[in-house]
Amino acid sequence: MADHGYQYDVVVVGSGPGGYVAAIRAAQLGLKTAIVERENLGGVCLNWGCIPTKALIHNAEILEELHNAADYGFSFDNLKVDFGKAVKRSRDIVSRQTKGVGFLMKKNKIEVIEGHGVFVDSHTLQVTPSEFKPEAKEQRITAANFIIATGARARSLPGTQIDGDRIIQYRDAIVLKEVPKKLIVVGSGAIGMEFSYVYSTYGAEVTVVEMLDQILPLEDAEVAAEVQKVFSKRGVTMLTSTRTEKVEIGADGVTVTVKNVKTDEVQTLTADKVLMAIGVQPNTDSLGLDAAGVKVEKRGFIEIDEVMRTNVPHIYAIGDCTGKLALAHVASAMAIVAAETIAGAPTLPIPADRYIFMPRATYCDPQVASLGYTEAQAKEKGFEVKVGKFPFMPNGKAQALNAKVGFVKIIADAKYGEILGAHLVGPGVTELLPELSLAQMMEITPAEIARNVHAHPTLSEVLMEAAHAVEGHPIHM
Amino acid sequence: MATVVRMPQMGESVVEGTILRWLKQPGERVAKLEPLLTISTDKIDTELPAPVDGVLLEIAVPEGATVRAGTVIATIGAVGERVAPATPPSVAAPAVTAPVTTSSAAAPAAPTRDTRPTGRAFISPVVARMSAEHGVDLAQVPGTGLGGRITRKDLEAYLANVRREVAEGEEGAAVAAPEPLPQLDAEDVLEPLSTMRRAIAQHMVLSKRTSPHVTTICEADMTAVVRHREANKRTFTRNGATLTYTAYFIAAAVAALRAVPEVNSRFTDAGIVRHARMHIGVAVALPDGLLVPVIRNADELSLAGIARALNDLVNRARDGLLKPDEIRGGTFTITNHGTGGSLIATPIINQPQSAILGVGAIVKRPVVRSSSASLLPSADDAIVIRPMVYLSLTFDHRVLDGAQADRFLTAVKEQLENWEN
Repeated sequence: MADHGYQYDVVVVGSGPGGYVAAIRAAQLGLKTAIVERENLGGVCLNWGCIPTKALIHNAEILEELHNAADYGFSFDNLKVDFGKAVKRSRDIVSRQTKGVGFLMKKNKIEVIEGHGVFVDSHTLQVTPSEFKPEAKEQRITAANFIIATGARARSLPGTQIDGDRIIQYRDAIVLKEVPKKLIVVGSGAIGMEFSYVYSTYGAEVTVVEMLDQILPLEDAEVAAEVQKVFSKRGVTMLTSTRTEKVEIGADGVTVTVKNVKTDEVQTLTADKVLMAIGVQPNTDSLGLDAAGVKVEKRGFIEIDEVMRTNVPHIYAIGDCTGKLALAHVASAMAIVAAETIAGAPTLPIPADRYIFMPRATYCDPQVASLGYTEAQAKEKGFEVKVGKFPFMPNGKAQALNAKVGFVKIIADAKYGEILGAHLVGPGVTELLPELSLAQMMEITPAEIARNVHAHPTLSEVLMEAAHAVEGHPIHM
Repeated sequence: MATVVRMPQMGESVVEGTILRWLKQPGERVAKLEPLLTISTDKIDTELPAPVDGVLLEIAVPEGATVRAGTVIATIGAVGERVAPATPPSVAAPAVTAPVTTSSAAAPAAPTRDTRPTGRAFISPVVARMSAEHGVDLAQVPGTGLGGRITRKDLEAYLANVRREVAEGEEGAAVAAPEPLPQLDAEDVLEPLSTMRRAIAQHMVLSKRTSPHVTTICEADMTAVVRHREANKRTFTRNGATLTYTAYFIAAAVAALRAVPEVNSRFTDAGIVRHARMHIGVAVALPDGLLVPVIRNADELSLAGIARALNDLVNRARDGLLKPDEIRGGTFTITNHGTGGSLIATPIINQPQSAILGVGAIVKRPVVRSSSASLLPSADDAIVIRPMVYLSLTFDHRVLDGAQADRFLTAVKEQLENWEN
């Protein structure tokens, strides 16, 4: 980069799947890059989110299969379940993964700076020791460009303090020493449903409280209904259209007062722990954004354009702190655009209306994967839609896997065939989504997906059938 | 391998055409350049020749239908070839319910129906269908996708742009919400707008809104021209051409354009385009409107050449036989409004040109001739009777100022007054 008199071409603040990807891409493009992290490399995703939960969920899946062992002709009467071992396994994976990020930083000659970064002005970051890195060296670093990738943290209900013991958030839930007897989960998004799945499978009595009128409120109504059926069978209580009014900590548990917003009926629930999973708030409040002149909107998310640039032209922001779609892979995609823009390399900007088409995944059982509009949203948007839906039930591979629920639902524009939404629920659907997200991006229609030959027997045949169904002609129906 | 026939783009602003009559029916043999059908646009009716030898396999757009330029209207195949069905029977897809104009693009994989434009890496099925329906030449659409791929949004933005450009030629309100039908009194009738009427209306409004019009007027003594014409018109007639005064005005205008080349130009935001060639449009009145056929490279033609070209264009304009190329690309226009007896008019500029010459009726009028240079009364003053004509130049004041316009008009006048063979 040009001789600009700053120490670095780019400094990335935060090393989650947004930040570390941005740093790698910037370094690949020849920029002198540093990354500032106040905790551990990899951010929430690697340390507290995506990765460790998947480990726990796989444990839960195995456990659930063991519960169904008789279906396969296995029987035993001394099954011992060690939840502590499950948590340890997930932590081991985390430590391997964060080491991997450290290795990638070294390989790309990216300087890792430990500590908490605060802007002093738009080109200077003051780095101070953080609660996680008390040994960090106090220093000032300057850069021609910054990429803010500080992520977000769990939000709580107004007036309810997360204490990490009775009232917990995902960071606590991921490392519980033992399975609570009774758990109340407030919020039924991906985080709420994944922990509900893990803990209910491990024997907790779980109640999910959702203020909106369906669980998984961002998902298609039919998908939510399918998940609700399975969770009900599992013994999870789900209270929808129910607002959490009060959370009180008592001597031997928590009391939660909830109110059905439709009937005004009030209930008092008790549990050992309450997990707050109602969403996130951005980590933008202790960053010195004022000093840098970076604008945030009223909830604190940083405003960006389609190349991730903030109102300050040399400061970019990516990932959860921008409030677009708080998912790791979205942050990584944004990271690449930001780094390429800074380097002046060709890039593919992400306009605001593209985020809805990025893949979303919830790893409870049954898995949920989706992109684009729900059927209701598509109609609301004024599209004339064609909907194709095909269940996993008749699929040979699904039967072999003992998977009996779920379906693939594709929503296409009736006129030109463009995929407007895809909603999958069932076995392994998070791995099936990429075919549809690629098709959506490249504007390939269900007609082509239906003609794309899918290997038999695979779960992916259900995709093909759903695509046929859009055209009205599924084969195995 | 079959060849598709598309609705051609018949002019810069002509975006659609109507099939008047199919001259061949499916199954009939066609020869290359043999007339295949007649089409009508808002400017012109014309025959469309077959692009290749072969057999007309399929007519995709029936007579009377109006489709956008670029829409596939027919398929011509080799002798013995059969039209590929829109949905091959071996494929389990249902029939596409899209309108007939899009059915050809609905099966992009069918080899005989490859409607994808060439020279692009990847045209998505969605874009292929949309562009076929709207008759868009994708080469004109800027792509913003990876590697310049045209996305649906790019195409929508392009179409919105085209719509806006079309709308700019119309009254904005009329596009946004069609006016309610006017109140009619008992005996009144409402005559629907013909496509030509509508096009003229749009063009005139567009021109008035685009260019600040200024008109300058002078008169010319036509004695030399009249004398020349009287002496030569019989020769011309023998040679199969009618020698009209309009031919002289065109020749005089060409000479004046050579003297003042700034007039032969067009205004753009990027700068003023000075045309090297002189393509002179001549307004021709028709029973139901007006056409402006263009004499191309008029600067290379003699008076006889101009007269012959003019005769030909005027005759074919009246018979509705002009080709699209013959009504576009003019760089300067002449309107001889005097043929109807008008003395002076201030015509509207034929966009995107910079000026238009109006020619009034040639009438004998008393004029003063004097050998004295003084404007004071003199014994040398004499009143004589001369065939006189008023010439008006209406010009775009963005491009030209009065001085250039007057120099041009004076050049026309001098050319006419000093006509020599």
